Amino acid sequence: MIEIKNASKYFRVGFFGTKKIAVEDLSLDIEEGKVTGFFGPNGAGKSTTIKMIVGLIKPSGGNIRINGFDASDYRARIKLGYLPENPSFPRGLKGIEIINYYSKLLNKKIDKNEIDDALKLAGIFYAKNIHAHKYSKGMTQRLALAVSILGDPEILIFDEPLSGLDPIGRKEFKDIIFKLKERKKTIFFSSHVLADSKEMCDRIAVMVNGRLIKNENLEDIESEAAGYAEERKDEGLPAEYSTPLEIYLYDLMLKSRKN
Amino acid sequence: MKKILYGIMYSFKEIKNSKIFYSFLIFALILISGSYFVSQTSFINQGRIMVDFSIFAISIFNIFIGIFIGASAVYDDIEKKSIFLSITRPLKRTEYLIGRFLGLAAAIIFSTIIMMLIFYLVLLLMHKFIVPASPLAIAKAAGSGAKPAGVFSAPFTFYLMPQPLIIQGLFIIIESIFISAAALLFSLITSKALASVFAILVFFIGNVSSRMNDLVKPVKKIINGKVVIVHQANRVLAHTVRFIYTVLPNFSIFNISSEAAYKINISSGVIFYRIIYGICYTALLFIISSLIFRRKDIG
Repeated sequence: MIEIKNASKYFRVGFFGTKKIAVEDLSLDIEEGKVTGFFGPNGAGKSTTIKMIVGLIKPSGGNIRINGFDASDYRARIKLGYLPENPSFPRGLKGIEIINYYSKLLNKKIDKNEIDDALKLAGIFYAKNIHAHKYSKGMTQRLALAVSILGDPEILIFDEPLSGLDPIGRKEFKDIIFKLKERKKTIFFSSHVLADSKEMCDRIAVMVNGRLIKNENLEDIESEAAGYAEERKDEGLPAEYSTPLEIYLYDLMLKSRKN
Repeated sequence: MKKILYGIMYSFKEIKNSKIFYSFLIFALILISGSYFVSQTSFINQGRIMVDFSIFAISIFNIFIGIFIGASAVYDDIEKKSIFLSITRPLKRTEYLIGRFLGLAAAIIFSTIIMMLIFYLVLLLMHKFIVPASPLAIAKAAGSGAKPAGVFSAPFTFYLMPQPLIIQGLFIIIESIFISAAALLFSLITSKALASVFAILVFFIGNVSSRMNDLVKPVKKIINGKVVIVHQANRVLAHTVRFIYTVLPNFSIFNISSEAAYKINISSGVIFYRIIYGICYTALLFIISSLIFRRKDIG
């Protein structure tokens, strides 16, 4: 499905082009039909990794393959849907015009019913005749989601899908992801909100400072977390986290960041 | 191919609805319509003043559309992240870029046609600078003497724009698309504001480089049957000007406003070579843009 082998990415910054490493020697296989949560603090390299997967940026080293094709090859994206962080659309076009355009870019014919289904699933069907620049953030996010699920892709990659949404929006968005999970889609989403981990993921990957520090099944990581919480029960636990898994992930990120 | 076509349509629709596009279009239409009043300031050659003023308005506003929209078409897509959803579809980056560029070209053609139509209506109303073309005359010119199908039996006079004015419109299209390709190229390697400034500089230098090159050429005279150089510009300056003249596009060839003002017909050879020059240069700039865009990290 998606194989990432020793991928790294550095950027040149500043006047003298100082090398800044964003992702270092990342190897990760994203399993078919599972929901993989990609967690890490801000600036960990999650979005850079996702952009490398979807072909927006090219890795400085290593390689990424999707269904056997290199990520920079357009054929790698035939069965892929991507929802960027904070999506936006050009001014002056209605929601329906935008989704119609994106439907034409797919390698298969999409009829009107399929477009309507995607809009309904994303919960934006009611606003399809409104200009997209008049949409709220949540509505824009929903339209982008409708675009990403158009054509029923096997792989869905969501970059911070819940960021900036209000509690109702978050709940509705999670329900959509659950529906997609029921359809056995391969979902890879990034988040820095640890509360999203348990309820949505089959597998959890954690990245800190551009390095992958954890990549395990939910059950394995939960049992590790239970043991860790038991060890730390006498110490003061962070009040903002309620479950052992959240506390474990929080501490893991914190320690790795210190290191 | 189908994806490119949809890209062109989407891009055209987006540009057509953009504020910058219709602001320029409306401003140009006001100037063209007002050219009559400007011409009234003179006692002589009022028609020529109207033509000069209108051609200038059509040309400058299309150049502005080409520069400002060319510099922002892809740059804004990247800045606002709206490109993310496009190029993560099974679409080659070159296809995306062709769609964006030809959509912009379509918008330039659309705006030039609208401006030329308004200009034609102004000329028609003022009854200046238009050439009568009767269908019966056309039939006679065809040599048969009989009325061809579709031609009105009653005498009916069409008025057409003179040939140089139509060719000037065509050249404005070529020139504006050409400069938009330069603006697009600059926008891929620098910021939108700098890309616009560079494109304006290229346009300015491209308009004067031909005259500058003539100025630095050695002045020769025939004295006693021999060709003698009587004045030579500084060598470094002459080489620099010649280099700029050779490398940068020569935009002055697209300006035929003097011929248009005096209704001097332009030969088909000149039209053909100038169009080919514009298309080749535009294609070259687009290929460079495409190579840069293919390697560009978008994030």
